Amino acid sequence: MMDTKKLKQLAKDSVYGLISVCVFLCIWAFGVRTSDIGIVMPGPGKVIYEFIQSFFVPIGKYTMPGHILWSLYRVLPAYIVGSVLGIVIGIAMGWFRYVNSFLRPLYEMIRPIPPIAWIPISIVWFGIGEGSKWFIIFLAAFVPVVLNSISGAKSVDPLLLKCGEMLGADKKYIFRTIVLPYSVPYIFSGLQVALSASWATVVAAEMIRSSEGVGWIIISSMDTNNVTQSLVGIVGIGIVGFILAVMMRELEGRLCRWTVREN
Amino acid sequence: MQMDSKGKLIPVIEGRKICKRFSSKRGEKTVLEDIDLSVSENEFVVLFGPGQCGKTTLMNILSGLDVPTSGTVYCDGEIVQRPAPERGVVFQAMALFPWLTVRGNVAYGLKARGVPRDEWMERSDYFIKLVGLEGFEDAYINRLSGGMKQRVGIARAYCNDPKVLFMDEPFSALDAQTRYMMQDEIARIWETEKKTVVFVTNNIEEAVFLADRIILLTNCPSHVKKEYRIDLPRPRDYTSRDFLLLRDEITKQMDSTL
Ligand SMILES: Nc1ncnc2c1ncn2[C@@H]1O[C@H](COP(=O)(O)OP(=O)(O)O)[C@@H](O)[C@H]1O
Ligand SMILES: [Mg+2]
Repeated sequence: MMDTKKLKQLAKDSVYGLISVCVFLCIWAFGVRTSDIGIVMPGPGKVIYEFIQSFFVPIGKYTMPGHILWSLYRVLPAYIVGSVLGIVIGIAMGWFRYVNSFLRPLYEMIRPIPPIAWIPISIVWFGIGEGSKWFIIFLAAFVPVVLNSISGAKSVDPLLLKCGEMLGADKKYIFRTIVLPYSVPYIFSGLQVALSASWATVVAAEMIRSSEGVGWIIISSMDTNNVTQSLVGIVGIGIVGFILAVMMRELEGRLCRWTVREN
Repeated sequence: MQMDSKGKLIPVIEGRKICKRFSSKRGEKTVLEDIDLSVSENEFVVLFGPGQCGKTTLMNILSGLDVPTSGTVYCDGEIVQRPAPERGVVFQAMALFPWLTVRGNVAYGLKARGVPRDEWMERSDYFIKLVGLEGFEDAYINRLSGGMKQRVGIARAYCNDPKVLFMDEPFSALDAQTRYMMQDEIARIWETEKKTVVFVTNNIEEAVFLADRIILLTNCPSHVKKEYRIDLPRPRDYTSRDFLLLRDEITKQMDSTL
């Protein structure tokens, strides 16, 4: 239940947020009108209008929702596979000493490589279809999830482990009922980072070769020098990214009612 | 109660010549020095000593959470080397599982050992009631007050039916009011569910109020300075003459160790 004080605080927060957005839009509109940038760049009104238009009038082969669905089709399977594998490997590395010794060097080699650096290799391996896109998005999700899962399993409070043993739990039971739940908030913070990374990487993935998707909207706007279309694509990417992050937080709030991470 | 081959009573917990040294970068520190003690069945023993004297260290060693540098701990005549369900612990830092509800915490040990559902439900119900948390069975830990959390810790340890119950300053984080209340509660629970208890505190009132026997520890390196048998009738009265006399005597003894 929200009390009135919290509600008031929320209202205040939204007002401040709204003010900053308005100021930003005003500066944009003013800048476009009074300087040379106006020649190449549309004002906010036109971008918003075009964005709404894009839901009814196709850009290329699809309208905006069509492009978004295409991009989600590329992101979600790869994200899910990357996350699941990342959780399993990360927890194993964080908890079992020798799994860590064995896999750590490989992981540390892959970790600093930005996913888009894999584009040429992934084309060689998986062709220019969906496979290569899935592969680099998989990497974008996998790397941060592993990292956070490791730190979750590593930082389990040793007192709680002793407490489990004191209560008569064996190693397996302790792993299942203490190590895993303790790691869940860490895993979620990895999943959150991975989701942003995957969504950001889809734009790059769609550069490989595609004729649809939010990334394609951006790429094709470069070919036609259509700055408005580019901005419309950016707005679409931003909004979808935001919605995904909110959904993820909602899921986290449901799954770990005992500890909702402070942002 | 068990007897050895010569028909002598075996204490439930016995520590022989327990020493504990910690070595760190700044050198070695002896915390416990030659501690001998024994606790018999259904006895309420209080380990009483100044802060930082090694009470937690001693309790950890007696319960098997830690190992002594030298010396041996016996539980029912068998050497103690690791934590086990027959030695229940209520931790100073509580150590509850925040992802479990009150019931999940209280029943944890029974579930871990594969006790059937009916039984752990019934037992956890009983102990949740006994510590006065009825109605909070499904609450998560972070929604409870400090006193309620400590009650969960006590119920969790009791529910597992240990032979010995170790309690490490369980009330040190509570305000004075709650503390008095919890002391009453512990005395009441102990009368209802007879158990061997080793209770650690640095609060003299608490010690005299609860103990059958007080073991007075000195400052670091800690050894047993003196033992007091407390025969005051229960339930005890903080303001009775005998209570105050004992309290003052032990306080004096304690001051002379500092
Ligand atoms: N793991 C450890 N490593 C090094 N020193 C320790 C460790 N645990 C306890 N000590 C030292 O032992 C002394 C006694 O600690 P403790 O048993 O917690 O005292 P008490 O519970 O009586 O307050 C302290 O001075 C502390 O610094
Ligand atoms: Mg202590």
